[in-house]
Amino acid sequence: MMFKDRADVGQRLGNQQYIASNEIATVIYLAQSLCKPILAEGPAGVGKTELAKAWAAALGAPLVRLQCYEGLDESKALYEWEYAKQMLYTQLLRDTLRNVLGDVASLAEAASRLAQEEDVFFSENFLLPRPLLKALTSDEPVVLLIDEIDRADVEFEAFLLEVLSDFQVSVPELGTIRAKHQPMVLLTSNNTRELSEALKRRCLYLYVGYPTLEAELDIVHLKVPDLRPELARQAVATVQQLRNMDLRKVPSISETLDWARALVALNARAIDEETMSSTLTVLLKYEADVQKAKRMMGNGGRRGPGNR
Amino acid sequence: MDDRIIEFVRGMRAAGVRVSMAESADAMRAVEVLGVHDKDLFRQSLRTTLVKESDDFAVFEELFPLYFSAGGPPMQNALEDLSEDEQEMLQAALQALSGRLQALMDWLTSGDGPTREELEQLAERAGVQWAHNQQEGAWVTRRMLQQMGMTHLEDQLRELMERLAEMGMSREAIEKLMGIVEANREALAEQVAESVGRQIAEQRAHRPDDLFGSDLMHKPFEALSQEEANLLRKEVQRLVTQLRSRAALRRKRGKEGRFDSKGTIRANQRYGGVPMELKFKRKKLKPSLVLICDISRSMLSVAEFMLRLTYELQDQVAKTRSFGFYSDMEEISLVLSGNRAVEAVDGVMESFYGRAPQHYATDLGHSLATLYDNWLDSINNRTTVVILGDGRNNFNDPRLDLIKDMQKRARRLIWFNPEAPRQWGEGDSDMPLYAPLCDQVYMVRNLAQLSSAVDKLIAGA
Repeated sequence: MMFKDRADVGQRLGNQQYIASNEIATVIYLAQSLCKPILAEGPAGVGKTELAKAWAAALGAPLVRLQCYEGLDESKALYEWEYAKQMLYTQLLRDTLRNVLGDVASLAEAASRLAQEEDVFFSENFLLPRPLLKALTSDEPVVLLIDEIDRADVEFEAFLLEVLSDFQVSVPELGTIRAKHQPMVLLTSNNTRELSEALKRRCLYLYVGYPTLEAELDIVHLKVPDLRPELARQAVATVQQLRNMDLRKVPSISETLDWARALVALNARAIDEETMSSTLTVLLKYEADVQKAKRMMGNGGRRGPGNR
Repeated sequence: MDDRIIEFVRGMRAAGVRVSMAESADAMRAVEVLGVHDKDLFRQSLRTTLVKESDDFAVFEELFPLYFSAGGPPMQNALEDLSEDEQEMLQAALQALSGRLQALMDWLTSGDGPTREELEQLAERAGVQWAHNQQEGAWVTRRMLQQMGMTHLEDQLRELMERLAEMGMSREAIEKLMGIVEANREALAEQVAESVGRQIAEQRAHRPDDLFGSDLMHKPFEALSQEEANLLRKEVQRLVTQLRSRAALRRKRGKEGRFDSKGTIRANQRYGGVPMELKFKRKKLKPSLVLICDISRSMLSVAEFMLRLTYELQDQVAKTRSFGFYSDMEEISLVLSGNRAVEAVDGVMESFYGRAPQHYATDLGHSLATLYDNWLDSINNRTTVVILGDGRNNFNDPRLDLIKDMQKRARRLIWFNPEAPRQWGEGDSDMPLYAPLCDQVYMVRNLAQLSSAVDKLIAGA
């Protein structure tokens, strides 16, 4: 179940179709042995979320995902009381309630007797667990993915600190809930804002950048096996070249894969100007970028002898 | 090994990377788990536990080899491959040479380089104690190699070759010997560079902590050295993050709000009018900023800081638009938001200075007019407008009417000026005209003033 060593991590992630660099494997292995969350930073679309999925699958553990956004608060991330269910139960149990309260003389006595039964309505029956609580109370160890933490508010980050340092939360009506198994946590961030130092201090840090040409080629081979090798190399080289350009949004790995699939679907023979101009929008999402890239390719065609 | 890691952490801290106690403890545990035999594994386990910002990777990669390597590539023994006759010939030839470079020649031929202590003494003679950073270290390395006699080595080697040839050593043997000596010379140079690098890193680690011990907080921006500026830049970032969380807390406490009867009735319709959920009126206090940053020549020494501050504020306050001006106004929000801090600031500086640099071209009045023509929609009654500049308008029309109008439109108009009030009004400064039209004017000459000004800004934004 658990990873034996670093090589084991790399291999089992590989079985899940995830090519992990040495660094990624080391960090995952350390996270497991030190019981620490991982903070993965890097540009969008380099496979940070994918890593969590592969990690969970490699361990055979369920994946619990918490997607962060502006305005996310504790009740949406941790738990909520199910008001409607509580209401319904009070309606259905009206008779029983009457029995309990049947012989009371005064309003005060009724209230105090009802207060004794209060626990019934604030028990785990009526607790609606959200991802964080689910991860903590799960009967088997889980991988908890906290996606795009940089989009959540600072207050939420502070609240998360409490959960991540002790792996326990307190629900006022129920007391403290401690994790049955410590979940393995991966936080991802696209670096749209600086995270607090306290959060960083508690995590292992992993920077996932764009892969090298060879590594990206491996990924394309793995995920899009139908693409002919020489075409794949040409495609990846083009993407790498685009990444060096001054674009508003450079293509990510997922976009490379989309493009590779598009090339297969179109049955492309070579990456010439025509295929480029018809498929470039898969890679680039801004009109200005597309124009810039076309100009670059056009120049390259005139100057470079290798480009037909 | 633990001591070495602690030394390394000290070195990292001295180079401006923040490493907490908990993090160095983590590093120790990680090393315990993974061991130190695999160098790559060891490096990765230290990096993931100690460095939490990709900007700091460079420092890590620079310091790591200085602390955890054997001290440069090994040298080879040139004597081993020679026959006894040839060895004698070499000894005789070496002795016949003038004795000046004897030590150096010995190291290069025998393959036993200088010991660590010898290297440290040599470095001290070359003035390593005066070097403060790795750039200056390169200079010390050069001096050390000079003092060792590397500059005269060529002549000496030629002489040695001639002598050996005279003595009857074969051509191949001589060439082989020279090949090894050449390789050793490069190895020695690398060893020297490493030793100097390590010494500088250690010296820096043992120097008292400048930032908090000294008056860096109160030193004027234009008087900062490069290294101090780097430290301060990090401080600016921390500062804004801290202020932001303080502001967020304030807002959270403010959230309790007044009881909202209408909202409560509406929300509890589904419970048959039984008030299960209480609603409170929350005051929406989302700050919105417009930052106008002066990037003219007179601001050059502080412009980078102002931009840095602009960058961090934009990072922290969601609704922010930033503009920069020199002779004309331009929106810089996009450049700042898409990049990491250093690149973003460089990008803006370049886009303003990359074009033919014009002296005395600052024109705030004209720039304000451009702002009015194009981006007036960014200013409304919820916006706090902040102008970061010295108000030196190069005797152009100050367009006080626009400033006056802007103050009316915006929630607040605030001016951060890096000049002391006594300089206002001197030369081409229009500050005395602008100042009474603003809601507030802060003098920001150093980080202490900047921090208090930004605190007030965010508190009221």
